Amino acid sequence: MLAIVALFMLQYFEIRLLVGSLSGSTLLGQLKLLDVFAFLEVSAAARGISLALLTAVLPVALLYLLLGRAFCGWVCPMDLLFSLVDKVRSPGTKPPRLPLKPQVGYWLAGGLLLTALLTSLPVFTNFFSHLTNLFRAIAGVVFMASDLPVEPAVIAWSLLALLALLLLQYFYPRLWCRVLCPVGKTYGLFNRASLLKLRFRQGDCEGCELCEQRCYMGVKLVRHLDQGKLRDPNCIYCGRCIEGCRHQANLIKMSFK
Amino acid sequence: MVNGVNMGLNRRAFLKIVAAAGATGVAGGSGLLLREDTQRRRAAAEEYHLKPLPEITDTGLVRPPGALPGRKFRRNCSGCGACLNVCHTMGYDAIAMAGPRHGGDAATPYIKDMRDFPCTLCMECPDKCPTGALQPLDKPEVRMGMALIDLSLCFGWNGDVCLSCSKACPLGASVFDFNYGAWGNQPYINENCVGCGLCVRYCPLGGSAVKVVTPEIYTQLQEAYLQEVDNLLHISGEERYELVYGRNLPEIMARGRLVEREYR
Repeated sequence: MLAIVALFMLQYFEIRLLVGSLSGSTLLGQLKLLDVFAFLEVSAAARGISLALLTAVLPVALLYLLLGRAFCGWVCPMDLLFSLVDKVRSPGTKPPRLPLKPQVGYWLAGGLLLTALLTSLPVFTNFFSHLTNLFRAIAGVVFMASDLPVEPAVIAWSLLALLALLLLQYFYPRLWCRVLCPVGKTYGLFNRASLLKLRFRQGDCEGCELCEQRCYMGVKLVRHLDQGKLRDPNCIYCGRCIEGCRHQANLIKMSFK
Repeated sequence: MVNGVNMGLNRRAFLKIVAAAGATGVAGGSGLLLREDTQRRRAAAEEYHLKPLPEITDTGLVRPPGALPGRKFRRNCSGCGACLNVCHTMGYDAIAMAGPRHGGDAATPYIKDMRDFPCTLCMECPDKCPTGALQPLDKPEVRMGMALIDLSLCFGWNGDVCLSCSKACPLGASVFDFNYGAWGNQPYINENCVGCGLCVRYCPLGGSAVKVVTPEIYTQLQEAYLQEVDNLLHISGEERYELVYGRNLPEIMARGRLVEREYR
């Protein structure tokens, strides 16, 4: 996660390995990458799918057909920031119950796409996306520090949007990731078809539920034990359940098969 | 400093009226909108029976090279910042993100201040745009905007030989036309202009005598501007002398000391 953000940071030292932000970038000066939800939103706003959009989204879509929602657990910088927030909050407090149903996220994502279609603006990716805002804030601060032309209001907006997400995380842990984030919800759909999945070994589960306690995405693992594998749209393949299970029965593993 | 979109629209609307009415009697009524020196210049112009050069306060949002035309760009741009960042890594820093005063165009890239950071047409940004809002093009096909030389501020139009803009132009001879005559090589930028703004950067006048406007705004200004060029080339030598030494050169001298930042 840090490594990928660091790759992006290299662009401020005139090394163009990865240029842009996590919602859209260019790898090694050649391969264009576009976030899947950004693709959907821009297509809706432009009212048509162009070849440029398709070629940019295809590598990303293929990658996550392979890896499922691994983006959230391994790439998304908000995951890192959120765990920092968790450290600030006293570790003993139990996360409150989610005030929203998980379906809300799909309605939100659909609503955003509809908004994009009606207003002809990619509203979320442009103004509210944590991915865009984080990188825009970093770029803004870097540019400001080197006395380059920037719009302070844009940087302020980006920082405010990020702060709002961190506050949300402070009071409702992982509400953004589990329910609201349309980017994650889109990648969650990839979980249904992805090659990477959680598999359960044959063995005696003691029902300690260490795995479920570790899972901050609220995936219910134990009830899928009989099926041998798990394809929950909220699983981000962070591997915490595996860590938890290792102390007891060591039943869970990630598998491409 | 007069700023903001509404202001610019008011003035453009006003200039149209001026062009139609022959610029008599109207200037006084708009005194609130106009800066003092503008009023002075306009008054001097009326004295010489000339229409005032449209003073451009609203240049529009000049997009990075290869941008899809008009609203189409806004629809396709996701604001990811790839162009902004690649422009920075190239070391040009021409692209900035538009702020809230640009309304619905906020958080999309534009060329902010060509006097400090012109586009060099390196064509890296369309190459890096993941959404296709910027399309790779050949340099001469780029239409970011149109450079307009302020005829009352340009050295070349006021008895000097300067040529800085034409030397800075990446397309050179295909863009610049010159009216050779007793008053020197008076440069005129034709419609092959790509709008990169290198001429804006290298104009030696304080605050630059060249401004780049978007193609949309150029279509509004075109008629008045060409009329002005025509007028200047056809007035008598005596009138031209009065115009240059009575009105323009003092302004040019003043500008040399005062580098304004009207773009910002």
